[in-house]
Amino acid sequence: MSCHVAAERAAAPAALRLRARPLKLILVGNPNVGKSVIFGRLTGRYATVSNYPGTTVGITTGRAMVGSEVCDIIDSPGVNALEGVLSEDEHVSRRLLANREADVVVQVADARNLRRALMLTAQIAGFGLPMVLVLNMVDEARRHGIEVDAARLASELGVPVVETVAVEGQGLNDLKEALPLASPARVPFTPTGDHGAWAHETAARLRRTRPASIGRFQEFLGRAVRRPATGLPIFAFVLYVIYLFVGVFGAQTLVNLIEHGLFQGYVNPAAIALSDRFVPWPPLRDFLVGEYGLITMGLTYSIAIVLPVVATFFLIFGWLEDSGYIPRLAIFSDRIFRVMGLNGKAVLPMVLGLGCDTMATMTTRILGTPKERLIAVLLLALGIPCSAQLATILGILGGISFAALLTLFGVVLVQIFLVGFLAAQVLPGERSDFILELPPLRLPGIRNLASKTLLRIRWYLWEAVPLFLVGTALLFVLDKTGLLKWVVAGGRPIVTGLLGLPEQTAQVFVMGFLRRDYGAAGLFQLAHAGQLSATQAVVALTVMTLFVPCVANFLMIIKEQGLKAAVAILVFVTTVALSTGAGLHYAFRILGVGF
Amino acid sequence: MPFGSSVSDFEHGRRLASLDVGEGGVVLRVLRDNPARAERLKALGVTPGARIRLLQRFPGFVFECDQTELAVEPSVARAILVEEDG
Repeated sequence: MSCHVAAERAAAPAALRLRARPLKLILVGNPNVGKSVIFGRLTGRYATVSNYPGTTVGITTGRAMVGSEVCDIIDSPGVNALEGVLSEDEHVSRRLLANREADVVVQVADARNLRRALMLTAQIAGFGLPMVLVLNMVDEARRHGIEVDAARLASELGVPVVETVAVEGQGLNDLKEALPLASPARVPFTPTGDHGAWAHETAARLRRTRPASIGRFQEFLGRAVRRPATGLPIFAFVLYVIYLFVGVFGAQTLVNLIEHGLFQGYVNPAAIALSDRFVPWPPLRDFLVGEYGLITMGLTYSIAIVLPVVATFFLIFGWLEDSGYIPRLAIFSDRIFRVMGLNGKAVLPMVLGLGCDTMATMTTRILGTPKERLIAVLLLALGIPCSAQLATILGILGGISFAALLTLFGVVLVQIFLVGFLAAQVLPGERSDFILELPPLRLPGIRNLASKTLLRIRWYLWEAVPLFLVGTALLFVLDKTGLLKWVVAGGRPIVTGLLGLPEQTAQVFVMGFLRRDYGAAGLFQLAHAGQLSATQAVVALTVMTLFVPCVANFLMIIKEQGLKAAVAILVFVTTVALSTGAGLHYAFRILGVGF
Repeated sequence: MPFGSSVSDFEHGRRLASLDVGEGGVVLRVLRDNPARAERLKALGVTPGARIRLLQRFPGFVFECDQTELAVEPSVARAILVEEDG
């Protein structure tokens, strides 16, 4: 790798030294060019990296030593423009530059796409900040037969131009060395402010292309996944593989191993024996290992039942993310989403919701209009089960029958569609046009996949497990104070009357308000204890799936949409959940359905 | 051509939506009847002079513009005017 610096600048002394506060550096660039990879390489902090535009929402900051200087580095979401009609993320980046919240701009560009990068360079130049241009992924560009004359580009723009392969760490030292030489880019003035022609001409002049044979397979694969005749079978196959890996291997094999083997075999008996000996006070003993014990319930649920499924899901999901496959689903779903007031782009937050609804609620920012964002947030809260909940659904219904599973997903999908359709009619505003960039199909790198999966598992352990424990403690207190009986009694008209479920399900729904998956884990235990019939399991799980996912998700809805909208969504979703459950219960009874 | 259409008889070039799969050419211009859409296409590199090739028509339009692969709905593909090769 090499760094090219404009000749007249190379001789100048390094200007950026000795300052009262750390040097602030911002990474800016088109979506999916590798900003977060460079951020991770510079700071040692892992920012989630995936192969589709819009992974980074909001900004991430980290600190790094560059030479002898401490730098604060800002990772920003990908932008296609900083002038004209802007998305929410583009406004954020624009403001950072306009308010001079950074001292140096590092523009990261996909070396294959110099023209688009230069259009952005021209807009960055308008802010007058010193900058460095990084041509990333030069290896991929070469394989596509594209070579950029970096030295001439550097001298024409008057800024250092660095070539990198960030995922392999190549060129990062050159980037660090180039930072002190950063200077504002020189871009010819145009009276209209439109730099399209300049970018086109410059890119064409400084870029050499030769025919490349590599990429044929990529092209073949790209065609196969986007054509209906081959794409739909591939989609079905992908779903089947996910089911096998998460639903069978994770939710059955691993859960059996950990729950029955480890927890019921060793952990819980040991914990009970230890507390019998060393904890003299019975209430405290109960608190640890009783019916609502932190270990026997809280840890068992979160570690033995949910963790194996979440971990397997994160792994296969991360692989799909990095392959570039997910955005291609938008081609098939665009027509359906348009009926729901959205467009194909909405497939991204929806599929991400299967990982975590809270994160996905944040990702709705990539959608074009306020109406689209509101509908997407509503549908996520209503119908998209997160990984942990998917886990318990597969665990319970997988053991009953495939028809039960189909019934649940069928009912939930119909609800999503109906609510989306109605919301599109009722809510004011418009939808935006479907225009989505498809990232290149890639074989995911093991390193990134491992970092990402570990980060998410750690996140689950830190974020979700404590909530499981808090929920258990709450149930314990409710139980000891006798309030639980009241809750169960109060819920009886709804739980047993309306939904036809056993009484104990009321307490499971209490847990479900904290986290849907925690409630579902409770159902898992009830089902295993033989206290739920097959049809009852389907009704209970459908209601749970349609609930608002968890407290964290609710807080995120407030943050994104405001308190009023959030409360309205909560009330609406709860009403839909309960009435759907009631409808399902009566339908099963009248039709005499059993699984 | 019906009154009020954005493409006059005097202009050469075809709409991207009317090309067959595999056909391509150079972008002449993007219709400005929906400015927000035109701006977004411009930011993605769909500007006059860019090379463009249609890859798929159904269930959605997919095309390649320079090194970028884009999926769009039919109305967007109708707004892109292309000077055909050959």
